[in-house]
Amino acid sequence: MLKCTVNGKEIEVAEGTMVIEAFKQAGEDIAHYCWHPGLSVAGVCRLCMIEVEGAPRLMIACNTQVTEGMVVSNNSAKVQEAVKWGLDFHLINHPLDCPICDQAGECGLQDQYMKFGQYDPEMAERKVKKRKVVDLGRKIVLDTERCILCSRCVRFTDEVTKTSELGIFNRGDRSEIGTHEDKPLDNDYAVNVVDICPVGALTSKDFRFKQRVWYLDNDSTVCNGCSTGCNVNVYYNEKGYFRVKPEHNKDINDYWMCDKGRNIFKHVNKENRLLKAIKKTEAGTQMMAPGAAAKDVASLIKNYSSDQVAVVFTGQYTNEEYEDAMMYIDKLGTKKVYHWVNNSESFDDFDGILLRGDKNPNTAGLIKALEAKSLNSTWEQLEAELNSGAIKLVILAGPELQEYFPDIQEKIQLFSKAENLVVLSSNPNPAYRDVDYLIPMKTFVEKKGSFTNFAGTVQKIQKMRLVVSQALSLGEAMQLMAGDELQIGASL
Amino acid sequence: MFQLANERVEKIKSEMQRYETKQSAIIPALYQVQEQYGWVSKEALDFLADLMEIPVAEIREVFTFYTMFNQKPTGKFHLQVCTNISCSMAGGRELTDYICKKLNVKPGDTTADGKFSVSKVECLGSCDTAPVMQNNFEYHENLNEAKIDQIIESLQKLN
Ligand code: SF4
Ligand code: SF4
Ligand code: FES
Ligand code: FES
Repeated sequence: MLKCTVNGKEIEVAEGTMVIEAFKQAGEDIAHYCWHPGLSVAGVCRLCMIEVEGAPRLMIACNTQVTEGMVVSNNSAKVQEAVKWGLDFHLINHPLDCPICDQAGECGLQDQYMKFGQYDPEMAERKVKKRKVVDLGRKIVLDTERCILCSRCVRFTDEVTKTSELGIFNRGDRSEIGTHEDKPLDNDYAVNVVDICPVGALTSKDFRFKQRVWYLDNDSTVCNGCSTGCNVNVYYNEKGYFRVKPEHNKDINDYWMCDKGRNIFKHVNKENRLLKAIKKTEAGTQMMAPGAAAKDVASLIKNYSSDQVAVVFTGQYTNEEYEDAMMYIDKLGTKKVYHWVNNSESFDDFDGILLRGDKNPNTAGLIKALEAKSLNSTWEQLEAELNSGAIKLVILAGPELQEYFPDIQEKIQLFSKAENLVVLSSNPNPAYRDVDYLIPMKTFVEKKGSFTNFAGTVQKIQKMRLVVSQALSLGEAMQLMAGDELQIGASL
Repeated sequence: MFQLANERVEKIKSEMQRYETKQSAIIPALYQVQEQYGWVSKEALDFLADLMEIPVAEIREVFTFYTMFNQKPTGKFHLQVCTNISCSMAGGRELTDYICKKLNVKPGDTTADGKFSVSKVECLGSCDTAPVMQNNFEYHENLNEAKIDQIIESLQKLN
């Protein structure tokens, strides 16, 4: 450990710590654009200026290592003056089109300008105009004149994805970020460059112009897109859910997430949801409140013996829901509980970065819950008993992210061999058209609980804004179907 | 399909062995293309990327950084006027305007008869004799309008 003094605060840092990290550790503000903790050091923005006691001139904090007894500061007039001019240089050719820029509100230039702005710029030359609205494929739009050439995005494609699509072309004040011949930037992690771009040069096509960021709240949770369980922040307001960004977790996803995970909020929004329970009747269909439908199922179940009832789970629910569900399965008395493993061929795939072939956030949790009750029926048994007619009623805890279950239609056909099929699902699906009961479920942002990732790490998810307030959790649905009343306020 | 003469391909391969990193061979490789074609096309960049197993963006970074690589075909005489600091202070930019007006072209363009291209370039390493211009590989130093008139006149005569 090394002792050092940062803006008068004495702290201890690990050997090899850069001064900029020491500032962060000490909780002292330090302006910076090019430095990013997940990337190599570039030292090009010249904003992280510091004064080191005993050194004749200012230095950059991102490329200076802490030494024993070092005394550094960035609160002197000298440093402030240097940062002010550094910032003014960044703004020389910047278009300042904040009113039409998606980054406004979370822009590094805006943030630093509030502190270090000249307010009365002294630049008399005309701005160099560069290309705007450059289409970089289906995910990203580039505005080259907003770019401050920090090179974060270039380092990301060089170091993290190792795809090296991006480069800085031309030189001097005509330097421009881009891909060769505007080729699409569409690797599986491309949208991370939008997050790390400190300005509005790289924006997400999906999110562009949907919302001003200051109208959004956010909460942290865990991505339910695969068994990696990246830590993410989900952004929403009263109009719905709008975007997902990664949140740092050094043991799981570092600073990144995959682009597929960026879509996990879409099914949550009202226009895509199942709002009411649907019961199939002689006359057609009947809309019901979700709770009432589950109670209806409870009376239906009474017509059968316990071994005529089967329950099928997908790995898309929380540990707590499985635990509750198992309790009520005990009550129902059936041992016929099955695990629907989606895309089993690619189940063990891993792309070497984050993405896993197991497209379920909680396969491990489900397996554990089944094992705890010694429930080990095989899929072959389910098929055989459906074919023989031994199973009369199937309850399916359907997938929340249906796109990862390409065999949905096929499986529903199989389950439909039973006299009655009850499907629990947050979203409708054409395959569910003929099921006997379709009951709306909560999505992963509408309930508390935890997921266990591929490595056995248990991570909490958070309840954010309810979209379908009547929707049930898996535990609640099983409770009602087992004939119990819900306790008021017990809802997850 | 872009093609490069065999001996040039071989030359590039040997340049790649010469340095600690193969990135160092990007400039010599670009020269090989430019010597054969007079300029470097985007297909050529893709070709080099495949040949050298270097991401094409990296090659393009080098290619567009240096003004000595031509991004489009040039005229017979490529007048490259230095507009870096020393030359600018000695009137290099005004001289460029003068040449362009005289030949009726814009910087970066070629005259209609295909004879002259004019471009602004970075420091030619001859600041002591600023302003400086390069016609193809030939240097013209301590320039002024009268000298430009002379040079262009003599080039007009060459056919
Ligand atoms: S596009 Fe953004 S991240 Fe990339 S160099 Fe420019 S400012 Fe930095
Ligand atoms: S790698 Fe998996 S957990 Fe991480 S963001 Fe992508 S889908 Fe979500
Ligand atoms: S953050 Fe240190 S130079 Fe950019
Ligand atoms: S600035 Fe023109 S030769 Fe150096």
